[in-house]
Amino acid sequence: MSSHGIAGRKPLNAYLFLLPAFAVLAGVLLIPIVNGLRLSFFDWPLRNISKAPVFVGFRNYVELFRSEFFRASIRATLIFTLSVVSIELVVGTAIALVLEGDIPGLRFFRTLYVLPIMIAPVVVGVVWRFMYHPSYGKINFFLGQMGINPVGWLSDPEVAMKAVIIADVWQWTPFVFLLVLAGLQGVPKDLSEAARVDGANYTQTLLFVKLPHISSVLGLTAVLRLIDSFRSLVVIFNMTFGGPGVTTEVLSLHLYKTAFISQRLGLSSAIAVILLLLIFALSFVLIVRGVRGEKR
Amino acid sequence: MTIRQKNALLLAAKYVVIIVGALFVLFPIYEMITTSLKYEVDAFKIPPQWIFKPTFANYREVLFQSNFARFFANSIIVAVVSTVVSVAVGALAAYALARWRFRGRTPVVVGTLLLRMIPPVILVVPVFVLFNNLGLTNGRIGLILVYTALTLPFNVWVLRTFILELPYELEESAIIDGCGDLTVFLRIVTPLITPGMAVASIFTFRIAWNEFILSLVLTNRVTRTLPVAVSLFLTDTGTEWGKITAIATIIAIPAFVFTFTAAKSLITGLTAGAVKG
Amino acid sequence: MFRKMLAILILVSLAAMGFAGGGQEEAAPTVDASGNGGFDWRAYEGSTVVFNFPNHVHYNAMMDSGVIEEFEELTGITVETDMMQYLNMHDKQVLEMSKPTGDYDLISMVVMWKSEYAMADMIQPLQPFFDNPALAVPDYDFDDLVPGYVEVTGIAGGENIYRDGPGAQLFGLPFGSETSFLIYRKDLFDEYNVKVPETYDELTEAARFFAEEVPGVYGLTMRAASGHHATHGWLLHASPMGARVFDDNWEPAFTSPEAIETIEFMKTMIEYGPPGMEGFTQDEEFAAFLQGDAAIYLDASVFAARAKDPTVSEVHDKLGFALHPTAKTAGSETGGFGLAIPANAASPEAAFLLMQFLTMKETERKVILAGGAPFRMSAVNDAGLQAQYPEFAVLAEQLKYANPDWRPIIPEWGEINGPLLGTAINQALTGQKTPEQAMADIVEPVRQVMIRAGYIK
Repeated sequence: MSSHGIAGRKPLNAYLFLLPAFAVLAGVLLIPIVNGLRLSFFDWPLRNISKAPVFVGFRNYVELFRSEFFRASIRATLIFTLSVVSIELVVGTAIALVLEGDIPGLRFFRTLYVLPIMIAPVVVGVVWRFMYHPSYGKINFFLGQMGINPVGWLSDPEVAMKAVIIADVWQWTPFVFLLVLAGLQGVPKDLSEAARVDGANYTQTLLFVKLPHISSVLGLTAVLRLIDSFRSLVVIFNMTFGGPGVTTEVLSLHLYKTAFISQRLGLSSAIAVILLLLIFALSFVLIVRGVRGEKR
Repeated sequence: MTIRQKNALLLAAKYVVIIVGALFVLFPIYEMITTSLKYEVDAFKIPPQWIFKPTFANYREVLFQSNFARFFANSIIVAVVSTVVSVAVGALAAYALARWRFRGRTPVVVGTLLLRMIPPVILVVPVFVLFNNLGLTNGRIGLILVYTALTLPFNVWVLRTFILELPYELEESAIIDGCGDLTVFLRIVTPLITPGMAVASIFTFRIAWNEFILSLVLTNRVTRTLPVAVSLFLTDTGTEWGKITAIATIIAIPAFVFTFTAAKSLITGLTAGAVKG
Repeated sequence: MFRKMLAILILVSLAAMGFAGGGQEEAAPTVDASGNGGFDWRAYEGSTVVFNFPNHVHYNAMMDSGVIEEFEELTGITVETDMMQYLNMHDKQVLEMSKPTGDYDLISMVVMWKSEYAMADMIQPLQPFFDNPALAVPDYDFDDLVPGYVEVTGIAGGENIYRDGPGAQLFGLPFGSETSFLIYRKDLFDEYNVKVPETYDELTEAARFFAEEVPGVYGLTMRAASGHHATHGWLLHASPMGARVFDDNWEPAFTSPEAIETIEFMKTMIEYGPPGMEGFTQDEEFAAFLQGDAAIYLDASVFAARAKDPTVSEVHDKLGFALHPTAKTAGSETGGFGLAIPANAASPEAAFLLMQFLTMKETERKVILAGGAPFRMSAVNDAGLQAQYPEFAVLAEQLKYANPDWRPIIPEWGEINGPLLGTAINQALTGQKTPEQAMADIVEPVRQVMIRAGYIK
């Protein structure tokens, strides 16, 4: 990646070009986030939103770490995130490896595979909830045809998380597939040819030529998926709303419920701060590395 | 087995993978569309009716709901305006970040990327409080501002990669000819990054059109958008799956349109950064 | 200058109106029966009322019955409706009511939000409106409204905040209110000669019988999904079984043997219920009965009209109705919806006219005929209606046992209801914890809520 950045142009204009973006980001993202940070030290019931918040110091944070349901939501987030990212990476990469190369009609199917990514999360949640219905859903119907007893997809604590994961895998494996496929198309043909001429078999070519070449793509895909799944909310919101118990109550849903059902705006801001810190910690390392790499 | 036979077999196996994958991908969408075309009582029939006489009754009910036209118009207005504003503002910023070296550039780039990671849900409370004080809670302007802010980081990132790929010589000669920076940007750079702007537009539109949580909190009866309207049909007296899937299908129309008309831009957008960075 | 004078004028006239109402706060909200001919319905002609209500059997009936159009015709007031899923309504209402001027002039609230709204001054006391002869419809007959419904939907500030008593004020009127009774598949009960359950033991036995002996049919349908639904399901049986959420000193009482027994009963019902019932929300509870999967329904009475609707119900002509079975005591729920006027409404007077119009006898009858639920004693006891609606006779009897103290709807209830109690109950129902463990684990969090709100130390 070359850099054309020209030092000679008037810096003032750069700031002017940045100004509108900066104004919007500061006004709508930064200021509210800072306010949210501040709010995490207050007690402020939603029903008393017209009254002033009450300062409580670190009490919200203390309450969170003592709360069983908060710990459960951290656990749910980790299980959900790690599962979807690893499944999607493995399956997406595998499909990309199988389908790389010139297959007639691939372009058409690749287009089809984009569809789930484009569909609104609300719609995804609603449609999967319908398919998971214990008595009338198509999934239990197919299982029944195979002689399997009905599964309580969204009501059995052992299964609900898997059901949520399956829906996410449905929506986002195509994303991994597309990214990896694009990465594989960037592997110089002569490189794998050369390896084969040298007598390397498929596995060896894969391990020593292809995978190293797409490792940065894989890494970035993993981070993008990690972050997106960490903040995903709407599908679960419409599918289980966190149940059974709190088994699928990921952090962002726990935040929403704390704000609007428990009506604790201060406490929910403390959750927001923790969620934000976790996400930044996850992504910061890689982004800094990415930007440094670009500079080189 | 000859090599030719082996290759044919391999190709066949690949098609099996493709088709099984496609079935998995398409089934929920098929289910959504067919349910929207069934009568309410038939949606629940077990064994399912694979062959049935389609009815547009659900669509008729949804479309002639007193407020549907309003929600639909809101969704269009909010999505289109957010897209135009976000892409325009994003292109300006991207140009500055691509073509200038100035103090604080790296922190700005990193900061932009970090902002991309923000979960919309954490904005719900503070943005509501802020907008309530500013009187923006009921207008479409508030929602447009939020969607612009949420999509800007991605747009800046994507457009910057597109600008970085342009040869600098064109701009250089224009500057030597005495053009100002804004003229160079508008006359020379913008036309060359149209594909990038298409990508950015589709993704901004997608976010603004699909978004749920912020719209749930920041709109009212007059300004509500379609994804929130879906939740209106999740009733307490027997979920009306026919109507829900009908409105879900309507929401998914832009997804279908973009997927089948602008697949190339979509794939560029999805892979932007990941492959190039 | 002119503007200032206008503002003063408006202020003065507002103040005058306030005084007119404020003088007689103590009077009971009965309506002067004399001179019903002179009432002016058109005093607020030209104004607009924005009305927020749930997508719910009773309100669907209201829309179908044409009474809104009739009101517009009668008064010259425009009614703009905003229909929502009922659990989403709460956030929206709170947000609207915390603005300087809200979007809504009239709201329908689930009764469990009543104290929260009233104590936060989000809704207006109705007495001043009833005391204003220019606003109160003369032949309204307030005392005819089902007294239990009025207390549970409308009254706050008395005993335990959510009951009637000294200091209580009227904030709402019942519309879409409910109690609970039993709906059963008469065809199946007759065919297999099963006794219609009068006690919980008989209920358990009937549920077991259908689940085990009749192919394709399950016992009781119930809501149990994590959160509000699980709590509702539990309270429904906790009341006759003698379990309570709090004792008389606001200490958690949901670890009592009765409370645990209630959960055990629910677990048994899940065993005999349709698959996945531990995850049922209210609409899934309904669907299981409407599709003919469950032989027994025991929950909100408003469901009766829907169960009898041939366009949605496969069992519309096979129904029987009976009282909520008894355990230690007879006690059915009191819940559903009530109408209230937000404190920041733009046209509260016009909203009050609509509120009265909707709850008048003539309107009630039209809504009932369109599939709504009765909320006046005159309708419940009406011989003609009872002949047409066999469930009304059961309802009339059931109302004697409706328990207004069925659910402790203090302002903090929202935080306890779904996030704590409903989560713990569902954890027990889905086998993640034993009932004892699940309930014991939330004693401290619930106490913290009560300490923060100042009920206990």
